[in-house]
Amino acid sequence: MMSRETWRAGTAILLLVAALVSWVRADYFGHELLTQIAILAIFAMSLDLLAGFTGMISLGHAAFYGLGAYATAAFNLMLEWSPWAAMAGAVVVGAVAALIVGSFAVRLSGVFFIMVTLAVGEALHAYLFKSRAFGGDDGLSGIARPDTSSIGISFDDPAVFSLVCVGFACLIYALLELVVRSPFGRLLVAIHLNPSRVRALGCPVSRYKLAAFTLAGAIAALAGSLTAQHNAFISPELLTWTTSGEALIVVIVGGLGSLVGAAAGAGVMVLAMHHLSGVTDYWMFFMGLFFVGVVLFAGNGIYGVIDAVRRRLGGAAH
Amino acid sequence: MTQFARVTWNAVALLAALAVLAISPSRAEEPVKIGVVLPYSGVYASLGGEITQGLELGFETYGPEVAGRAFELITEDSEVKPNIGLSKVKKLVFQDKVDLLVGPVASNVANALRDFVHQQKVPLIIPNAGNNLLTGERCSRWVIRTSFSNAQITRGMGPWLVEKGYDSVYLIAADYAAGHQMMDAFRETYTASGGSIIGESFPALRGTKDFGPFLAQIKAAEPKAVFAFFAGGQAIQFVKQFDEFGLKDTIKLTGAGWLTSPLYVDAQGPAAAGILGILNYVPGIDNQENQAFQEAYQAKYGRVASEFAVQGYDTARLIVEALSQTGGDTSDKDAVVAAMHDVSFDGPRGPLTIDPATNNIVQDIHIFETSPGDDGMALNVIDTLSAMQDPPNGCTL
Repeated sequence: MMSRETWRAGTAILLLVAALVSWVRADYFGHELLTQIAILAIFAMSLDLLAGFTGMISLGHAAFYGLGAYATAAFNLMLEWSPWAAMAGAVVVGAVAALIVGSFAVRLSGVFFIMVTLAVGEALHAYLFKSRAFGGDDGLSGIARPDTSSIGISFDDPAVFSLVCVGFACLIYALLELVVRSPFGRLLVAIHLNPSRVRALGCPVSRYKLAAFTLAGAIAALAGSLTAQHNAFISPELLTWTTSGEALIVVIVGGLGSLVGAAAGAGVMVLAMHHLSGVTDYWMFFMGLFFVGVVLFAGNGIYGVIDAVRRRLGGAAH
Repeated sequence: MTQFARVTWNAVALLAALAVLAISPSRAEEPVKIGVVLPYSGVYASLGGEITQGLELGFETYGPEVAGRAFELITEDSEVKPNIGLSKVKKLVFQDKVDLLVGPVASNVANALRDFVHQQKVPLIIPNAGNNLLTGERCSRWVIRTSFSNAQITRGMGPWLVEKGYDSVYLIAADYAAGHQMMDAFRETYTASGGSIIGESFPALRGTKDFGPFLAQIKAAEPKAVFAFFAGGQAIQFVKQFDEFGLKDTIKLTGAGWLTSPLYVDAQGPAAAGILGILNYVPGIDNQENQAFQEAYQAKYGRVASEFAVQGYDTARLIVEALSQTGGDTSDKDAVVAAMHDVSFDGPRGPLTIDPATNNIVQDIHIFETSPGDDGMALNVIDTLSAMQDPPNGCTL
């Protein structure tokens, strides 16, 4: 029987191939969709590390996503850093913010953790909505993408930028895959399954959770930074709790605790949203039905179905 | 491989194939394609609906074709989210290859679209979003506005109120960019005319449902009038609570006209009587164009056309008249915009032109007072400030 990890990596490669085939065949707008999918995939995978592996359901994850976008804009527009430096700075800001928020949030669990993350996200949203310096509800525009004209390609070309975002998504997937396969990652799963037992074994549970929270915050900030560069525009909308909720839906539809499922979920979500909203004004209703259907019938989402195939194959071999 | 596995593999392959198909191009041509990006879900869904109906009626009335080309509207839901709006506009431009864009309702979405249409050189005609900067500092040759700028609406009210003897006011507006821009423009002309502002409050845009604390401050300040800006649910509540607080007997309630929009003035009941408003359109404007428009609109949709519908209607007419000047040619976008600068017509709002210096509309602004009539609250025009035009405000086209 193929191991769970190998199967996951195989699915990831399949997804990457699908993305690359789409990239070759896509027109301008197809590249836009691909960019959206890749960015949402990064954001959703970071949330999956929290929700799927460590069992921390956050409704405020968009705070770090939005913070990454705002930091990119602030560094790029106000301090006039280069886009690469702004992106790196945004990741650091996301990590530091997650470290601060996490240092008190990870001590809570269940509904208390959900409420604290929700409150932090809403507070940050309210601040940015009113803040004149960051454009208030009107947002800020003109965020630049990296200038790579010296090597003969332009990031302003949607085809190039979408490929860059897909590349980032692959890197993040690889990084997170390494993390969850490491002893550190195994311990996160153990904490998810039985925190008391892990604590009884003498392991500092909170510190492990904090590390996961910080890493997830940094990755969410990277996704936010890419979004800021993609749209050349940011607004407080990025930090609303519904953004966090949508990411959570993507993770659940894709399959909790599978990483690659979150990426697949991102693809399904963006494409479904795009196509459904063209067909009917009530597309949210059908998305809702779809979500309910997935939760009721597909067990652990899209990846749950894919993983069932692996188990069947294993069963057949015996 | 078991049956189940095969089925699942097929499903996966199908999904992958669908994903590939979904991202593939499509094309078609002939009619003038107009990409409409407006909110059809969320808090502004009714505004998006009104504007779309106005557009449809406008194209019917002044079209249905220009130089042999029909109009095809491709509508997309902006959801009042900047990123969604931008992605829909990219779809309209790259995939549907629209000739012109119409939208959006909210200024934050308009801000997100501005740089994109500026770079792509696709004319975007704004039928509502009022942020001053869009035809000021952040103006673009490719962004034309047929609705209003926030300052354009309230600027005229300052001197007018002072002239009528209301020489002290209290300002109250929802705490977001539009609220501040409207109050800034009013404050400037009001104080320049000798009026004094004796207090200001900016309640939060979201979540403020109880205006009690603010009304108490207004009561204590004892102004002769209040100048307010609220819209939608907040407008309904503010007007009702202002009355319930007993302020209406001693303090005149005035404001940007959305305070008593025809869309919800009846929901406000008797509390909405005797309010002074200033706006670019009210259904009661007395001219032939408006009568014809209201009759046609009511016949088609069965209700009174609001200021939002008229903005859609005039947008359609501007497009038709500009394209009839270019002989139906939309390939030279620069010529289309130039033609829009040349168009002028009498619409339901009165005489309209597009200011070539800012791309903002030049229009009459109407001051009205509400009074109970036979069928609901009537908005009676009592004064008209003709041809209100914005200064360039840092715009160089």
